[in-house]
Amino acid sequence: MARKRERDLLHRWEGNPILTVEDIPFRCNTVFNGSPIKINGEYLILLRVEGQQGYSFFALARGEDGYYFDVDPEPVMMPEKQGFFAKYETRGLEDPRITFLDGKYYILYTAASDYGSRIAIAKTDDFKSYERVSFISEPGNKDCVLFPEKINGKFARLDRPLGSSDVGSIWVSYSEDLIHWGYHEPVIEPRPGYWDAHRIGASVPPIKTDKGWLEIYHGFKMTSCGPIYRMGTVLMDLQNPAKVIARSGEAILSPREKYERVGDVNNVVFACGAIVEPDDHVKIYYGGADTSLCVATVYLDKLIEETFS
Amino acid sequence: MSGKFRHDIVHRWEGNPVIALDDLTFTTNNIYSAAAVKKNGEYILLVTMEDLEGKTSIHLAKSEDGYHFDVEETSFMTSSTDDSFRAFETMGVREARITFMEERYYIVYLGVGHHGFVLCLAVTDDFRTVKRLGVISEPETKAGALFASKINGKYARLERPKAGDRIWMSYSNDLLTWGESDVVISPRSGFWDSDLIGCAFTPIEIEEGWLLGYYGIKNTSSGPITRLGAAILDRENPCKVIARSNIPIISPRKDYERIGDMTNVVMSSGAILEEDILKIYYAAADNCLCLGTTKLADIVKTCIESTKEF
Repeated sequence: MARKRERDLLHRWEGNPILTVEDIPFRCNTVFNGSPIKINGEYLILLRVEGQQGYSFFALARGEDGYYFDVDPEPVMMPEKQGFFAKYETRGLEDPRITFLDGKYYILYTAASDYGSRIAIAKTDDFKSYERVSFISEPGNKDCVLFPEKINGKFARLDRPLGSSDVGSIWVSYSEDLIHWGYHEPVIEPRPGYWDAHRIGASVPPIKTDKGWLEIYHGFKMTSCGPIYRMGTVLMDLQNPAKVIARSGEAILSPREKYERVGDVNNVVFACGAIVEPDDHVKIYYGGADTSLCVATVYLDKLIEETFS
Repeated sequence: MSGKFRHDIVHRWEGNPVIALDDLTFTTNNIYSAAAVKKNGEYILLVTMEDLEGKTSIHLAKSEDGYHFDVEETSFMTSSTDDSFRAFETMGVREARITFMEERYYIVYLGVGHHGFVLCLAVTDDFRTVKRLGVISEPETKAGALFASKINGKYARLERPKAGDRIWMSYSNDLLTWGESDVVISPRSGFWDSDLIGCAFTPIEIEEGWLLGYYGIKNTSSGPITRLGAAILDRENPCKVIARSNIPIISPRKDYERIGDMTNVVMSSGAILEEDILKIYYAAADNCLCLGTTKLADIVKTCIESTKEF
């Protein structure tokens, strides 16, 4: 007898959520979107924590198996209070995405201020000290992920500028120095009528596969009760990511469980990173309802297969 | 001196408009703003026109005196068919701003595509052929202008990202990749420029720093009013505003500025400084191109006195 197919391609871990506000050793409002990295067998997750004041900052979680985590007693990155970065971080730091490239860990994040949301880049060698590099967009842009290797000799990123009528598409840009960016091109756009009808953005830093760059992205469809955030996949050409090879028709994960449906922002699953294990088992870490951090898993070949369907 | 009070610092040319729809040898729907430059004694404008389909293109106009122009029927720039630009210009090109730099004429213009507005860069030596260099912003960015000289060793530009409706600037080493973006000036609540601002003509280097001409919008219940204002930016760090006029330098008052497809608009993307006189070419009501002149010293004085007042 065939096994009953799960409604979503991704398999939720039975112990979800892996972190909630109860697990944070200091006072805060919520913990949600987090970006994972595996270093020498240890799992780290850079967490977006929203403080009681209402703005977000980053904390660090550590675990040995990818499922059970302890959170460091102090936040690791707070909005700058002085200097050039302070002006554009007054409303907090959001949605980190970690990429390991050329021996360093780069953290792409959204800096929020009265001037709007813009993308910033920071780096670290050890997740003990963090150095801000630069802001790399103007306002009106977020959801930036850095490719884990150079493409045609240049750094490459995906991001989500807001175009006409506030439509958000995923774009690719290139840079020689990580500071000055150009050669912008659109990659994929929202699809009217689909689950990703209104706005999309990059979620997980691109994963290199033999079929192309695999991007797990988020998209939402607007309803009269607000947006429903889901996850989908797209495969991009290895040499030219603006060239789309395939895109999933269906969402690979939709809000269904209570921790995804009920929270500060209802009906949201929002990934900021994934770990591909040596056996190609993929752990995707995602925020549930802007109130919890969860994990769901899938084999890489299934993700690719779904992207072509 | 006449006893009549001058409401605007900019003096309208009595022969306005400089280019009206009826002056053209071809059919078009609207005339928008124009880039302006003087080359070997000849006045050159790059005028944005909207055709009857609604697509925009850029036309060249030439004049010997700066007042009477011949407009070429064949467009100088229109939607590109080149693969690198096509998608960004499907609905046209518009709003050119010329910068003479390193002995070449650089043109920052808007590509209008289905994603919205992006800034593009092109270059010409002779205003006969033009070479596109690259798309230099993501959407939705407008009102781009290159500074005429490098600032701290880097190319610099002004722009207006849609988010916040403010004027920003960015730097580049190669004119194609841009970064280090920082805010220059913002709308001022309660003022004539309370809701949106953007760079008007290309910044002009003057004794006090960079003269920034900008357009400002105040929304009213019957739509926006677009006016022109001015500020002086620090030469080495244009994000530092040395002085800013509290009042517009010109506001829509004449019929040709008030009546058109967009009512109550004066909007410039080109000016020429001749000795101490500034010739400002401006679009009126998205319908015709006009000329206003003023002494540079009058604009500078207005900016500086405004600072003292506040």
